[in-house]
Amino acid sequence: MNPIIRLEHVTKAFRPRRAPGRLLKGDLLRAFRGVRHEPFIALRDLSFDVAPGESVGIIGRNGSGKSTLLKLIAGVTVPTQGDVSVYGRVASLLELGAGFHPYLTGRENVFLNAAILGMSRARTVEMFDRIVEFSGVGDFIDHPVETYSSGMYVRLAFAVAVHVDPDVFLVDEVLAVGDEAFQRKCRRRIGELKEQGKTILFVSHDLGVVNTLCDRVILLHGGEMVVRDTAQDTIQYYLRLVGGESSTAVLRDGRSEVVFNNGRLSLFHHRRELTAPDGIQVCLRSMEQDHAGMAATWHVEMIGGASCVARGRLPRLPAVLVWRLRLEGDSLQCGLALECDRDVSIEFFDVLCALRTAYRRWLYGEMSGVFPDITPEDVTRLTLVSPAVSCREVAAMGVDDDSEPAVFARMDSTAGFWRMQWANADYLAASRLLCIGGRVPDQESLFTQGVHELVSFKLELGGEPDAIRHRFVARNTLACGGLSAHFAHGQVRLRQGEVELTQFVHGYASMLIGDLWNDSSSFRWDPVHNDGVRLRATGHSRRFPFRQHWTLQCENGGCRVRIELEALEALDVQEYHFSVGLRTDYDSWRSDHEEGHFDDFIAGEEDWRHMNRLYAPGHRVAAMGAGLPTVLLEAGHTGPPVRMTAINTGFSHQARVLQALRTPDAGCLHFEPGTHLFFEGTVFVRP
Amino acid sequence: MQGLTYTHRHPTQVRRLLPDLIRHRRLLFDLVSKDLRVRYRFTAMGFLWAILEPLMMTLILYFVFGYVFQFQRGTGETPFYAVSLLCGLVFWQFFSRSLTAGVRSLVDHENLVSKVYFPRELVPLSVMGTNLVNLIIGTVILMVLFLALGGRPGASVFWMLPALVIQMGLVAGLLLLLSCLHVFYRDVAYIVDVVMVMGFYASPIFYTYETHVRPALEGHPWALALYTANPMVGLLTVYRQALVVGGTPDLDLLLWPAFFAALALGVGAWLFRRKSGVLADYL
Repeated sequence: MNPIIRLEHVTKAFRPRRAPGRLLKGDLLRAFRGVRHEPFIALRDLSFDVAPGESVGIIGRNGSGKSTLLKLIAGVTVPTQGDVSVYGRVASLLELGAGFHPYLTGRENVFLNAAILGMSRARTVEMFDRIVEFSGVGDFIDHPVETYSSGMYVRLAFAVAVHVDPDVFLVDEVLAVGDEAFQRKCRRRIGELKEQGKTILFVSHDLGVVNTLCDRVILLHGGEMVVRDTAQDTIQYYLRLVGGESSTAVLRDGRSEVVFNNGRLSLFHHRRELTAPDGIQVCLRSMEQDHAGMAATWHVEMIGGASCVARGRLPRLPAVLVWRLRLEGDSLQCGLALECDRDVSIEFFDVLCALRTAYRRWLYGEMSGVFPDITPEDVTRLTLVSPAVSCREVAAMGVDDDSEPAVFARMDSTAGFWRMQWANADYLAASRLLCIGGRVPDQESLFTQGVHELVSFKLELGGEPDAIRHRFVARNTLACGGLSAHFAHGQVRLRQGEVELTQFVHGYASMLIGDLWNDSSSFRWDPVHNDGVRLRATGHSRRFPFRQHWTLQCENGGCRVRIELEALEALDVQEYHFSVGLRTDYDSWRSDHEEGHFDDFIAGEEDWRHMNRLYAPGHRVAAMGAGLPTVLLEAGHTGPPVRMTAINTGFSHQARVLQALRTPDAGCLHFEPGTHLFFEGTVFVRP
Repeated sequence: MQGLTYTHRHPTQVRRLLPDLIRHRRLLFDLVSKDLRVRYRFTAMGFLWAILEPLMMTLILYFVFGYVFQFQRGTGETPFYAVSLLCGLVFWQFFSRSLTAGVRSLVDHENLVSKVYFPRELVPLSVMGTNLVNLIIGTVILMVLFLALGGRPGASVFWMLPALVIQMGLVAGLLLLLSCLHVFYRDVAYIVDVVMVMGFYASPIFYTYETHVRPALEGHPWALALYTANPMVGLLTVYRQALVVGGTPDLDLLLWPAFFAALALGVGAWLFRRKSGVLADYL
């Protein structure tokens, strides 16, 4: 295919700009003496082609010639030597608001700006409504842009630029305009342009964006093209290239390598980068303003070859961020502290560890899951773990155990509000985020003058996946013959071999108090005790003064569940139950009194529907499904009398439920303060 | 929608100047209409100023030179001295305003020139376009005043057209040359300012070439040559003769301005094209 942009041996030199009085003292005198100033070479012998539809990133340090290159391609200036050819129409987003005049109305400026960008009058009329809608300027469109806020001004300019529909887009750090919502819109629009097959040239310091958006990245250094390769490789090279300054450091020990670059940490293992280009960064919020660690002025002091202290002075806050990093083998110990010159009030901390999207599985305390795919629709961060739960150990792994080096993180000493969270970044940042941070409670938000240790955490790179999984899962799993029971946050997950039998609510208990259901999965759970035979856990209700003590025990090839209720005050319960949510492949049920099929789920029906008609007290209910082991829920004889029922959940959650329900004959079940046996029963499987 | 293919060599070729301008004529109109709208926005009287301004100037000049100094004596055009004044003023202002504003135009439009590719000639030429609109308004007032004072224009008024063509060429050529030079040496605009003030007195606006200057400089051929080296001398004289005096004007007065305009156009276009690629580097 013919290239759309071709550069052949392009050199661009600038004559040094001279001081005033230059004609007489400068030019004439120099011409007389025969002296010539050395020109400054911005670009040296650059050659490359860009094919139509390609997106190419240009990265490099300040002064490496990135903007000059874009200007050459935009035709704003011409090279000193060599040829630049562009076969198509170029719109550059570096010319936001080119020709905007403050006296003219938004409408007049849109037409003028569009004409300057090369859009025909008829086409502008056609696109006008969409431009106005995109900009969100609304009725202000007929007011002079002089009266606009700077945000509106830039939004309108950006709206025109992205609607001129050229063949080539030049984008230069414009994504930092407007408010959060508008930035999201811009990112989505640029994503769309890429999907539409537009050629995009992208200059940015935001390596994350470059990485997602660009097929190829050109690294400029001192006006020369150093690398031209896939995004990932060039960015890695870039990070190594910049590793020599006082604001950067490289820690090495064995197979692992950590690059600290101006407030951003990148992790390498076996020469592979584990972090996404955004790396690990700190961000904090004070007085409703965000302060990014990347914006600080950093100075790094190496201590040996594998540890360092990095101090970053924040530009708009009288405080210094201090990273203490120590790499020992494959384990990186990170400590973050804040040194305040004066009293500073801080509302929010966020340490973001961006991992590459190749990481597909996450582990979070007792929970685990798969990162969803990131699509162009994802314009915000998507958190994956409910904010109600919290843990100190997390891990991420690739698709297979060998595909990516596993990353394990443990948060050590911190103030109470620090949490860990797994999230997906937005489409352009495209990474898996381990977020460590949290909102500072009001009473702790004042950081007095002095040093405050914020958080310390450890990252282990490239650990054995099975060993890591074992750390998370084994602790909370009980083997009961062929059945394994995994307890997490008030839910018991049952599994036979590799087959998950339960889903949705799994095995859980719920109590109706004052017309409110209190699920065991919403309690705050203390750490679990598991000696391999018996698993014990205590959960605290967040709403009412009671606790539940659960004991799981392996018994006759089944899992015996014993729940005790510890009422701290007298408690009136309308009814309660213990239920097991099963896969939808279970299609029939049998109780002590009757049997039947589970009905199909009814679209729109959100209430749970009982399948049984008889509610006499009983002891057993079972669910059967083709190719699945039969699951039995059996109420123990020592526990209070219960009614065994079979239920369909609502349409949106679809599960078959076996339930042991306890209802009072009249009024409420009254619990005096003290401990009561609440439920006792066993879940079995039969082939 | 028009496609665009370019290599950086294109803007340096003088022969592509005209095709480039024709292709971007729409943008030229847009820039002119922007200038016009901006000029009178937020004024209470708006476009009326385009009419009032030359009239007020004529009034004060008429008072000083016509009433106090009696400059019109001996010209044989006594009743039409005001018309002569306005005629000179309108065409002179087209010249001087185009140049004083146009010379700075590339620097003033920095946010355009250093950001987008388009033929840079459009910027100074759009200033001329704006002033051409003012010139047309001025000409209409001139005609109205002439008729109101009892003048009956003959067929000779059409001789104003070739003079206008020459003047436009002159303005365009000087604009290209000077606006480009101004980017490199910012002294140019100040020189132009000074020359325009001098030019107002060194051009036959409130006096005439035939009755005041030629007799006075008789016997001083060098001084006369120096005076007529100002191309506006010939042009303004021809305008006045065509309108007020009637009959065929002294056409040989147009030779020097025509040559001057052609030279300015040639040199201006050549220099501008040669430097247009790097203008953005110096802004």
